Amino acid sequence: MDHLNALENQSIYIIREAFRKFRDLAMLWSIGKDSTTILWLARKAFFGRVPFPLVHIDTNYKHPGMIVYRDRMAREWGVDLIVGRNEEALCAGMEPAKGRFLCCNSLKTQGLQQVLEKHGFKGVFLGIRRDEEGSRAKERVFSPRDRNFEWKYKDQPPELWDQFHTSFGPETHVRIHPLLSWTELDVWEYIRREKISICDLYFARDGKRYRSLGCVPCNFPIASGAATVDEIIEELKVTKTPERAGRAQDHEAAYMMQKLRSLGYM
Amino acid sequence: MNVADTLRIVIVGHVDHGKSTLIGRLFYDTGSLPEERYREIERTCREQGREFEFAYLMDALEEEREHNITIDTAQTFFRTAKRPYIIIDAPGHKEFLKNMITGAAAADAAILLVDGAEGVREQTRRHAYILSLLGLPQVVVAVNKLDLVGYRRIRFLEIEEEIRRFLGSVGIVPSYVVPISAREGDNIAANSSRMPWYGGPTLLEALDSFSPAREATGLPLRFPVQDVYVWDRKRVYAGRVESGSVRPGARVAFSPSGKSSVVRTVEKWNRPDCPQAAAGECVGITLEDELFLERGEVMGTRENVPASAREVSASLFWLGIAPLRLNQRYVMKLATGEAEVTLSTITERINSSTLEVIERHPDRVENLDVANVTFTLHRPLAADTFEENPRLGRFVVAEDGFVAGGGIVREVRSDPVGARTRVIRLDARLMTEPDGNLIDLSREAGPIEFDLSPGFLDRLEAGEKVVIRLRTADQFEKLARLAFGHHMGLEFGRDGEGGKVVLCRERPVRLPVAEETGPVI
Repeated sequence: MDHLNALENQSIYIIREAFRKFRDLAMLWSIGKDSTTILWLARKAFFGRVPFPLVHIDTNYKHPGMIVYRDRMAREWGVDLIVGRNEEALCAGMEPAKGRFLCCNSLKTQGLQQVLEKHGFKGVFLGIRRDEEGSRAKERVFSPRDRNFEWKYKDQPPELWDQFHTSFGPETHVRIHPLLSWTELDVWEYIRREKISICDLYFARDGKRYRSLGCVPCNFPIASGAATVDEIIEELKVTKTPERAGRAQDHEAAYMMQKLRSLGYM
Repeated sequence: MNVADTLRIVIVGHVDHGKSTLIGRLFYDTGSLPEERYREIERTCREQGREFEFAYLMDALEEEREHNITIDTAQTFFRTAKRPYIIIDAPGHKEFLKNMITGAAAADAAILLVDGAEGVREQTRRHAYILSLLGLPQVVVAVNKLDLVGYRRIRFLEIEEEIRRFLGSVGIVPSYVVPISAREGDNIAANSSRMPWYGGPTLLEALDSFSPAREATGLPLRFPVQDVYVWDRKRVYAGRVESGSVRPGARVAFSPSGKSSVVRTVEKWNRPDCPQAAAGECVGITLEDELFLERGEVMGTRENVPASAREVSASLFWLGIAPLRLNQRYVMKLATGEAEVTLSTITERINSSTLEVIERHPDRVENLDVANVTFTLHRPLAADTFEENPRLGRFVVAEDGFVAGGGIVREVRSDPVGARTRVIRLDARLMTEPDGNLIDLSREAGPIEFDLSPGFLDRLEAGEKVVIRLRTADQFEKLARLAFGHHMGLEFGRDGEGGKVVLCRERPVRLPVAEETGPVI
């Protein structure tokens, strides 16, 4: 079995396991390439269906192109879409100028927390990968969060032989990471093989493209001429720049991502 | 395509023997370290007034860098000319053994790292033992920090001998033992001129010689039902082929239910008519017969289904903070099956570092112990022994919803109903009963066979006795033949409804000499 097939089968197994174990299940769809790949894998797992709702956390600062793509794909694939916004914080004027740590934690983490609470979701799929960033490399496939939404990275349950942590207390949720062992290159090679339609912000225009999608004020394009999936794959094979170089929140301070993530950031 | 397939390697060993440094070195020497990551590490080290520390690459958590230790397992990626690698760093600290096991269980091969100055230590041995319990056969030993001992060959040979001896005792034969210095880059990517006495492969060459864990295509079919989808008036059994392969028309049977049918279709999305599915593939199966099968049922062929286990004897490692206790209830998860179990026997508790038997027949297994135990299942689970089929021969034990231990199945006892012949293995482990080595067959109504181990005979030879309670004359006949064939002494007596046999060393035959010479005429 080749590498992409092995990854695909492993992810399908994880997705089916989550669906079996969590009745109140949702998928966080950031509109990026990773969560869109999970959406594709879910359709494979359930023979074309997506038997759970998708959640998009709209910070109000997303690229307009992402919203257009989101609404088009939701219609085309017939998915149940829930859009979550931390209205209270937005009304109070939360914005990156108030500090990136505060802004991410408020608009993204608390925005997610509100949706999970409102709908009572106990399991949520996320598209994080171990090669993205150091604290994500330490994640489990099934990763429990306590009632304060916190990630106890110092004391995670063991995970072996595809026996995952699927029980929880009444006030926790479990995050499920079907793409944890994929690399950025794997994702693009899979997108090419499966011909998955991806948001066009990833493709170069006027010598620039987004390598990772986020909010407009904190997400910068990289210099690149890669305008097709093939060209992106060639670019990734030679680049020495990390994927999240254009994500300002990662670089604001030492351990910023770990701190954000221990509070419940994706 | 196979040659280029990714290999997942885990790096294990005692704390401070240089795991994280080795990983940084592997990245650096293969040109796999992104410049920006390198600069980020450089910057962080400078800010903290330290020398450049490769370990920061894997030790990403603040606590890890502050204390210079790895807490949790991490994965990252590098590439040689031959293929891509996923590298799993596993913590060397004793408290983080569950993270080490999480890392090692996902690997195809292991590097066991030993400090050339310190030699084999507690976690070196414990990790090696765990590797053997996880069934990881591809191991390379890297003897590190030889720069600290002047690259002396004699020191390397001492450690090589010590580690080979220990690995041998847990059934591991290392593919290579390579002398290295991760910090200085000796024998990692290129042969070191500082150790001209070493003629073997570099560490990267050794890794390139390993192969990814192959799917178990050669073993009999095992398809655990993961879920049942009833859509479009069709009942689809979703799951992954764990071993063997299946195609439409195959005559199949299920364990533990004993039901059987014929495969109608093997399906994937947009491919409702796959010609077959092989080990590793996630598919949907439909059957010719309307059966109601649940998650946990395992499909095999009519000729070969897994046992319907009522009792599982296993080698187990315990990671729970609270001890595993005799006669307590736990949940066993084996493939997709799950059952409540009672821990019915703890044969012995073993120190996972020294391999010493700490205690025989204790009433508990402590955190980080390894033990040989038996669970009684409250409902049957489909299982194989680890030796027959590793995919169906391993399980985890959960306590209060949290996985707290794992084990490999040594022996399975099935429901006595059905035509299955029960094999009673007579081995040295039976000889540890405090009340005189008792084997109770008084509840065995079905056909039995005895399987004798050399250890059992050795113990009889040493003078121990074994009492066997019997139910049927057939059982007595089998035992009598066994005793006759292996020169054992045997005493028989009635015991209630059944019988009782004592096996012992064959008594030296003493011919009567003086008193009993018979009547003299």
